Amino acid sequence: MKEVFKMWSNTRMIILTALTAAIYAAFLIVFKGGIVLVPGITEIRPANVFPPVFGILFGPAGAWGAAIGNLIGDIFGGTMGIGSIFGFFGNFFLGFVPYKMWGAVWGLVSRDDMSQTTNTLKKLVAFEIIALVASATCAIVISWYLDLAGIVPYAFLAITITVNNFAAAVILGPILLSLFYPRIKRWNLLWTDIMNEEDVSKGFAVQLGSTVMTIGALGGLIVGILVAVGMAGQEVYGFSGESGQIAVWAAVLPFLVLIIVASFMLSGQEQFVEDDLD
Amino acid sequence: MTVELYLDYDTVIHRLDARIKLLIFVFSFIGLVLFEHPLWILPVAVLILLQTTLARAWVNVWRIRALLIILTISSVIMWNIFASGETHLFWFFDLESLLYSLARTMLILLMILCGVNLISTTRNEELVLGMIGLGLPYRVGFAISTALRLVPTIAASIYTISQAQRSRGLDLEGGSILERIKKYIPLLIPVFISTIRNTNVFGMALESKGFGAREDRTFYLKLEMRPPDYFVLVFGVILSVLAIILDLRGFGAIPGLTRF
Repeated sequence: MKEVFKMWSNTRMIILTALTAAIYAAFLIVFKGGIVLVPGITEIRPANVFPPVFGILFGPAGAWGAAIGNLIGDIFGGTMGIGSIFGFFGNFFLGFVPYKMWGAVWGLVSRDDMSQTTNTLKKLVAFEIIALVASATCAIVISWYLDLAGIVPYAFLAITITVNNFAAAVILGPILLSLFYPRIKRWNLLWTDIMNEEDVSKGFAVQLGSTVMTIGALGGLIVGILVAVGMAGQEVYGFSGESGQIAVWAAVLPFLVLIIVASFMLSGQEQFVEDDLD
Repeated sequence: MTVELYLDYDTVIHRLDARIKLLIFVFSFIGLVLFEHPLWILPVAVLILLQTTLARAWVNVWRIRALLIILTISSVIMWNIFASGETHLFWFFDLESLLYSLARTMLILLMILCGVNLISTTRNEELVLGMIGLGLPYRVGFAISTALRLVPTIAASIYTISQAQRSRGLDLEGGSILERIKKYIPLLIPVFISTIRNTNVFGMALESKGFGAREDRTFYLKLEMRPPDYFVLVFGVILSVLAIILDLRGFGAIPGLTRF
């Protein structure tokens, strides 16, 4: 996690944070008037393709950009509310998980070619796995809190946010990544080109970290929904039952802890390879 | 297309300390988010509308009228689906759910108004100073305020590029949802590229002016609290504490309302 804070001493990373936040917010606002899923909470968000792409290309700047951009989108899109606090953290993880996992997706992205683009089938699969894990992480962070606050039931919102995030990223993500990467590389704006390797946390079990992150995200999603449906009487993808139930809160909490632990296990240093190895 | 949202007037709201304007945003949020009933939201609504009028910011509200209209219509209808009550009116509308939907719509519109008021009356450099004054690190404050300022510029780019693509025959309105989303790819790429390509120049410009050269930095602008600032601060704190006490005592709820 060291790089998340260290990046604030680098001017170009700060600028990238501002620019990615502005791009994300602008597209969020454009689509606010589109198809509303829950007024004041969420809507169809094609702009959600940006955080995973920004995360992989710009690292921690992309993660902060997603968090700040979502907050600005909430302010000017009319969705500013109690949920915006955890919306900030949820969107941070939507950009954070991709760059932390990119070089550690069980060998799908090999050390011989760590380039942040989907130029091989394996890397395409890696991107889709990462996008799904990041989508679910964002979803359970936001849904856990909003269910606890009694605003929206977990079983409805967790699925809605996961599908919303993943649907945007699954098709558009690889296309954008492959189109943006050559330009960003040429301009020396990849986060691995801007930051120093020593400013990035070493992690302590990188490959295992990916597994723990995946269990935390997908496990929290599935177990949370099962508990919400079974013990709180909620409907899958429905707006019924009771929220604010201790059972949902307690069932999802260990998975959130796993996500935090995995964040420290993962590194990102493995992506710092010399150009001649590319 | 004009993209700058700051309005260069000398109103009483413009003259307030940037920290106070940020705190007004927080106070408004507290006053709006605590209550379910639209009548309980009304006093805060009046204050926010008064602020918009005093700041002469209605011109900026008018610029985003299309978004406000769409959000109003969708919110008034859809919150009735997600809530129910004991007094049935017609179709899926109950009296309690209708009141709740009005309150949620007011919350949405008024929070947008608060944001517009803040940006319309506060220069970028004042906003950064205000954030620093409230405890945010300078670099984080700079990133947030820069992003805030760039949003209208990028939105204008989206508009310009969409006009250019339309002139080449791109139909952004037609087709299914998926088809319409796909049609936005020719917008996403140029907007992204044209924004990001300036990063290095932007960085050099900042560093040539000493950005990040020292941890402790001084500022040309000085924030200074004056009597009107103290008055607004005390007024805001009293109102916020009052709102929290009333909420804790169970006021502002809609009897008979069932959410989801």
